[in-house]
Amino acid sequence: MQEEAAAPPQTLRELFTGFLWIGARSFGGVLPWAYRTMVEERRWLTPADFTETIGLCQFLPGPNIGNASIVLGKRWFGLRGAVVAFLGLMALPFVWVLALFALYVDFASEGALRAVVLGVGAAGAGLLMATAVKLARPLALRPAALALMAGCFVAVGVARVSLLGVIPVALGLALLAAWRGRL
Amino acid sequence: MTLVELAFYFGLLSLISVGGLPAVMPEMQRYVIEVKAWLTPAEFIEAFAVGQAAPGPNVLVASLIGFKVAGLPGAVVALGAMCGPAAVLAWWVSELWDRFKDSPWRRALQRAIAPIVVGLIFSGGFVIATPGAIDWRLWLIAGASAATLLATRLNPLWMLAAGGAAGAVLLA
Repeated sequence: MQEEAAAPPQTLRELFTGFLWIGARSFGGVLPWAYRTMVEERRWLTPADFTETIGLCQFLPGPNIGNASIVLGKRWFGLRGAVVAFLGLMALPFVWVLALFALYVDFASEGALRAVVLGVGAAGAGLLMATAVKLARPLALRPAALALMAGCFVAVGVARVSLLGVIPVALGLALLAAWRGRL
Repeated sequence: MTLVELAFYFGLLSLISVGGLPAVMPEMQRYVIEVKAWLTPAEFIEAFAVGQAAPGPNVLVASLIGFKVAGLPGAVVALGAMCGPAAVLAWWVSELWDRFKDSPWRRALQRAIAPIVVGLIFSGGFVIATPGAIDWRLWLIAGASAATLLATRLNPLWMLAAGGAAGAVLLA
């Protein structure tokens, strides 16, 4: 698998349908489907390329996979590629989520449906917290990292301080700690 | 006017959303519910739930908030503003990032950002499960789904389905 050379998409149309296909089936998270489509099925990228691109996109602000569509579209076809890949990725999910929401709003007066949707929302919230715990595991050995995580949670999650105030302070402290080898 | 506000605010969020939408969820909730009163706490969690249940990037929750505030134009503006500034940044940074691959600054920045992002993502889940007053039933469902994700390799869609079923029993 690693040894096979990757073959980037040859046409904008191919790029568009590839990202459309990622968006169309991305139930429960886009990342696994992006991997499946671009690495395993179409062989546009090697696993190492994929990991490196996603690593950059996780570091950048914005939706990871949206950024990945920009970075990869640019790499293969320049500006047109970035626009085409992004639109392909978003087109179907955008239509579906709005249709689902409009349908939901129509039926929301039914208490039973509201209860189900609230339950789904709470379960989704749990998934986010569990994802945070997974990401925290490799960091948790460092006291400075634990303090930063806890501090951000107390400030933003509990005290509900605006992120615009929290991020500069947290980033300043974190850079200081990282520069001194504490992170 | 609302469209301009939406564009401006989501554009700002776009630039600070390191870690993706979950990381700015607490800020979005604070602004949309408490500052602007565009949505009620229940509507916010509903929009999030629909966004979770539908396929696609979770950033689409932003388009649902836009939709709620200003209809279809609101949905397009909110999504565009949430993705646009970050996309422009990604466009420019992707080359620099490769060039500074071995720079100590890049490594320091990566290490500094990681714990902040983790704290913010956890906060994102926490505030969604705590819309307004504390409701132990929402915490119970969130806790059970978190524990299942951590303890098993099940597809997360099962946790969402189970959460819906638990909601029908506990919250009706």
